[in-house]
Amino acid sequence: MKSPEELAKERLARIEAAVNLEEPDRVPFSGVGGDVIAAYAGITQEEFCFDYDKAKEAIVKFNRDFPCDWTFAAGFVGVGVPPFTYAFADDPDVSATVGMAMFGTIHDIIGDTCTRYPGREIERNCSPQFIGGKFMEPEEYDDLIEDPVKFIAETIIPRICRNMNTPRKAMAAMIRLGMEAEKIKNFAIEVGKELAQLGYPAIPITLGYTPLDLIGDGLRDELNLILDLRRYPDKVKKACEALVEPILKAGLALKPLGVKYAFIPLHLNEYLSPELYNEFYWPYLKEVILGFAKEGIKSFVFFEGRHDAHLETILELPKGWGIAYFEKTDVRKAKEILKGHTCVMGGVPISLIVGGTPEKIDAYVKELLDEVKPGGGYILATSVGIAPRETPVENIKALIEAVEKYGKY
Amino acid sequence: MLDEILKSIVEMEEEEAIKKAKEYLDGGGDPQKLLEVCRDAMGEVGARFEKGEYFLSELILGGEIFKQIMEFTLPKIKGESVKKIGKIVLGTVKEDVHNIGKDIFKVFAEASGFEVIDIGIDTPEEKFVEAVKEHKPDIVGMSCLITAGVTSMKKTVDKLKEAGLRDSVKIIIGGGRVDESVKEFTGADAWADDAAKGVRLCKQLIGVEG
Repeated sequence: MKSPEELAKERLARIEAAVNLEEPDRVPFSGVGGDVIAAYAGITQEEFCFDYDKAKEAIVKFNRDFPCDWTFAAGFVGVGVPPFTYAFADDPDVSATVGMAMFGTIHDIIGDTCTRYPGREIERNCSPQFIGGKFMEPEEYDDLIEDPVKFIAETIIPRICRNMNTPRKAMAAMIRLGMEAEKIKNFAIEVGKELAQLGYPAIPITLGYTPLDLIGDGLRDELNLILDLRRYPDKVKKACEALVEPILKAGLALKPLGVKYAFIPLHLNEYLSPELYNEFYWPYLKEVILGFAKEGIKSFVFFEGRHDAHLETILELPKGWGIAYFEKTDVRKAKEILKGHTCVMGGVPISLIVGGTPEKIDAYVKELLDEVKPGGGYILATSVGIAPRETPVENIKALIEAVEKYGKY
Repeated sequence: MLDEILKSIVEMEEEEAIKKAKEYLDGGGDPQKLLEVCRDAMGEVGARFEKGEYFLSELILGGEIFKQIMEFTLPKIKGESVKKIGKIVLGTVKEDVHNIGKDIFKVFAEASGFEVIDIGIDTPEEKFVEAVKEHKPDIVGMSCLITAGVTSMKKTVDKLKEAGLRDSVKIIIGGGRVDESVKEFTGADAWADDAAKGVRLCKQLIGVEG
């Protein structure tokens, strides 16, 4: 029986070998999470999003019974409000404490209108959901370009947050956030401690964003932004350029905590033709990735949807820049193009875990690993980490066993 | 003139397309013909998407141009009935509050000549059942974005079976997290993760050439 320390060391070495494009002892496995964590603990989604103790217990129980190498989903109990993160880009201590917190408690305090939480706007067992909204008019691009942090903090936040739309309400909300920050910090520390006892390595992660996604998700709404690309192309590009610095500043606020990776979830990548991607999206995403790299932080990019049309652009980054986590892009094809350059992650459709059988999962993983395992530089994960609450636990077990069975080098 | 309008829509020239469509109607053009041309243009946009020449951004912009032209064209077709090729009851399934996929599909389905009855987001299974009873559609379209929606889709199909309505309709599911496994799991007849494919499959499901 390995001690938790030995186990954590082994798991970390496995992940780092893959990121460094080497062959570890076994293919590292990033586990599933999401709604199923609460369901497995017998608590509601509402409790999971609003009760730190219950959430912690649920996370620990799930990670004890469904071991993996990287509990990427741990501690992640809600959905965030992107502009809120960047409103505090010039105040790293604030940004590091509440700017990136994705908890129902924060939702209650600020009263944001761009997320929906269980037991609040939606039924108590629903997934927390981000829906966005239009909080900025096209005439305001100039204000955003001139001083993005000021514009987001002083103009956008009052529009998004019902509890921050007058100076008095905003002051009260900020004090409440300050009081909540201690609880959030304790939650993170406690979860970390308990996971360490289970042999999980500590891999602190910060958050990055693609400038165009920040405009689409947080300011203009994605559909309006798609139209803006044709109607106000120059303004959109200037705004993207202006957002690079605050995105990096907010992300780097966590650097003193020993952060090694910046998670950057992409959204509009799949929406754009190569022409639009290369004009409005990629140059600024690349600046963010290279900006983190300069500070010794590798990027961990989630390429939502199909990224096939833009795969080759990844080769413009320096070798070993980070992790490319693919959702619906065929990882076999991605591995072929990116081998020796980029660590590839993903490969198992979440639908297979939700609706398949242990036998099907075993056969699928065997075939997948035959193809993508050789040469290393690969982390196995489901296409998205959020498993619905009815996900059969025997399927999650089957996935874990299949990686153990077929993943050894 | 109509050819130019078609070309402008297909080439994503928003201002040009709208301007020409207005000129055409102001010059006494036939709104029914304009509608048909716009539908053809949307068909071409969908076809280019399926060939990989166009992306979601073009589907969205194309849909926006179509909607804008319809705003001033449809009121002029009053009295004459616009021929429909089929009826779809469409909704985002229970627990999912996203409307983006559903709304993009809806524009393309309407542009293809379907009558679409939109029953909204976070739609309980019973509401789908009632809508099928009331509207007697050819097709039920279910949308979801989040993974929880996948199980809601299965429950909705099961409810339609229980109500004895399953065989009276074709069921198509759509959305970012939907694939062949989800289709099998839910018991739907077809799946699509983009609007162009979705509309083509709807036509196939009711035996109209796509």
